[in-house]
Amino acid sequence: MPDKKEDIRIGVFLCHCGSNIAGYLDMEKLEEFSRKLPHVTFVQRNLYTCSEGGINEIKKGIEEQDLNRVVVASCTPRTHEPLFRSSCGEAGLNPYLFEMVNIRDQCSWVHMQEKEAGTTKAKDLIRMGVAKAALLEPQEPIMSKVHCRALVIGGGMAGMTASTALANRGYEVVLVEKEESLGGMLNSLHLIGPTMTDARALVQEKIDAITTHPKITVFTNAKVTEARGFIGKYDVDITTPSGVTTIDIGVIVVATGGRALVPEGLYGYDGKRVVTQLEMEELLRKGLDKGIENVVIIQCVGSRNEERPYCSRICCQTAVKNAMLIREQVPGAKVSILYRDMQMYGVENEEMFRDSKARGIRYINYDPANPPRVEEDRVHVYHPLFGRDMDLPADMVVLSTPVVSAEDAEEISQLLRVPIDENGFFLEGHVKLKPLDFATDGVFLAGSARFPANIRETVAQGLGAASRASIPLSKGSVVVEPIISVLADEDACRGCGLCVALCPYGALEIRTTDKGRKVHVIDVACKGCGVCAATCYQHALTINSFTDRQIGAQIEAFLD
Amino acid sequence: MCTGRLDPALVAKAFKGGIDGILVVGCYFGDCHYITGNHQAKARIDMTRRLFRFIGLNQERLSFRQCSSGEASVFVELVSEFDEKIRDLGPLGGDGDQVKAPGIFQKLKAAEAVLAGEKIRWVIGKRTPFLETGNMYGEIFTEHEFNRAIDMIIVEEMEVQEILMRLKQTASSVKDLAADLAIPPARVFRYITALKRKGMVALSKVAGRSPIFQMTDQEV
Repeated sequence: MPDKKEDIRIGVFLCHCGSNIAGYLDMEKLEEFSRKLPHVTFVQRNLYTCSEGGINEIKKGIEEQDLNRVVVASCTPRTHEPLFRSSCGEAGLNPYLFEMVNIRDQCSWVHMQEKEAGTTKAKDLIRMGVAKAALLEPQEPIMSKVHCRALVIGGGMAGMTASTALANRGYEVVLVEKEESLGGMLNSLHLIGPTMTDARALVQEKIDAITTHPKITVFTNAKVTEARGFIGKYDVDITTPSGVTTIDIGVIVVATGGRALVPEGLYGYDGKRVVTQLEMEELLRKGLDKGIENVVIIQCVGSRNEERPYCSRICCQTAVKNAMLIREQVPGAKVSILYRDMQMYGVENEEMFRDSKARGIRYINYDPANPPRVEEDRVHVYHPLFGRDMDLPADMVVLSTPVVSAEDAEEISQLLRVPIDENGFFLEGHVKLKPLDFATDGVFLAGSARFPANIRETVAQGLGAASRASIPLSKGSVVVEPIISVLADEDACRGCGLCVALCPYGALEIRTTDKGRKVHVIDVACKGCGVCAATCYQHALTINSFTDRQIGAQIEAFLD
Repeated sequence: MCTGRLDPALVAKAFKGGIDGILVVGCYFGDCHYITGNHQAKARIDMTRRLFRFIGLNQERLSFRQCSSGEASVFVELVSEFDEKIRDLGPLGGDGDQVKAPGIFQKLKAAEAVLAGEKIRWVIGKRTPFLETGNMYGEIFTEHEFNRAIDMIIVEEMEVQEILMRLKQTASSVKDLAADLAIPPARVFRYITALKRKGMVALSKVAGRSPIFQMTDQEV
């Protein structure tokens, strides 16, 4: 309980976010409104509260205005709460006496066309934030040690890169691969564009670096079957045909990759005359039949449709690369690419695309409403520019199918309690600010497990994830947010154990104290979900910074 | 923080304050960031909806829906759909609800106490074992049986709270309580006897041939 006598002085900082907020809400009205709220002694508008200038203003406010609660009304706490909290801390205010109000995502962005209604909603949210802020209590962060060992799930390019990078920094790495050998999808590739690197040689080089590295332990034919714990202290069960090994792990990198869609039932796919781009790689490696005269490549097979609405990004560059390789092996062959849109991002890919046209690769646009038809010796397509149907002779048809998520993505997502999106790809913490982290601390991701990526991107992401993962490893300890369950009223607790049975993390236990049976919170294990507080009929348990009183005050403020 | 933190008593508090609808959006089952928090939330919301139906508040005003953080368009659909539904229902205690204002707010006051109380929280907390692993005698209940039990508890708990609220205002006889609250006198008598045994209610005086009961000082 806050000391009632304490003079509560709340500072409200309203962020314009450039024009992101100020362009759509009436900031002057918000300022005027905020000044009248209870306990608010200081209000300031900033162009960017998160900029160095904005942060200094917060610090100045705390020092000069003697603020003991800070409310920032700006963007999302998912990205900026840590920054504002630590700024409060630097100015000598307990970081947990800070409250954030999201008037960008929840007001200006979603009510862009309704300035007045958006402003009213922002007022409601600010009023609620201020009401809660008045009741906030200081908290102390919880320190926890980190096992200096990383687990990398998936031995493809992303996983191998991350493992080597982590091991080279001196950390123990456990690499788990479900197949018999490392390499992943790279094992099925021939030459990698746009540099035409030999995939086999690249894989071998990577595998050699891993298997000879003293810091890396490789498990093949292996699966992670259990992961208990939290950042810094995971107990992971690795199951191989020879049994289960339990290893203590500090951080986890998910690099489970993807797989190419097998287009059963599409365009007469048979794996012989009509093959996928991945099968084409194998054929190119063996050397194509020199008698081939006409090859037709069809793009977006099984992607960008209702079932799989996303663009798999890398199939266009693969198609262009393979078209050129076909021409190289069989110089007389005619190669046509039937496409919907060409996704050739990056300077070198664009160059390769132009180059391919100069070398006589033919590009024909097709309409998904009127897709090409693969017939016995030809492909029938409507040419939108000529405005008529065309028949392209075809000894071979190559289908560019998308990369889809790994079969075990869902299983791993449940195991590690990290999200996947509607297409089965793992969902990063933030698309721009935390692209290689999960929202869950201590778990990172890289490569096609996240979204279809080419080799360069996969390598970059593997290195990036290793870099992110080495932050807690190098610190040797993590600070756990104290937004967790607490036994606020020990006398009320009857030690009934209902909360213990419901806690999803095993973070509660009953201990016998001199006051009788009482619940005890294992702070580092608690994630602060709040199930116990919503269950306790004695109202003895609560969640720091989300107490019944604070939430109740927000509800009341909303109703004001 | 998780939908599992949502205390049903706070839901009643919000409605009591005049909110017209509450939409709770949680993760998909099996996809909960807090493992099973959304199961807890769903069970509590379902129970609260049953209670609302009992007190004459349109249960559509409280809804538990699911979508993932990657599904913006689904979220928009859920919110728009709910918004439309609540607009159709109109303000709380109006045409959309069986019991009208201000009566509904009295009911919600009792409901808040019921939802904060021991009995209902205990039973809802034990829902999973009751349905999956059995109670301490190894009896496993069907969802239907469990809901029937919940409904019975809701009736009893609501009636007890209404009696206590009434007694808080003024001491009263069983007969008057029964007439005022439209509860059969035999049931009121049973509740009063139980409350007396718990020391929450005491005999104040005897008026004519009717004993008059009053609240004791003990906190409920």
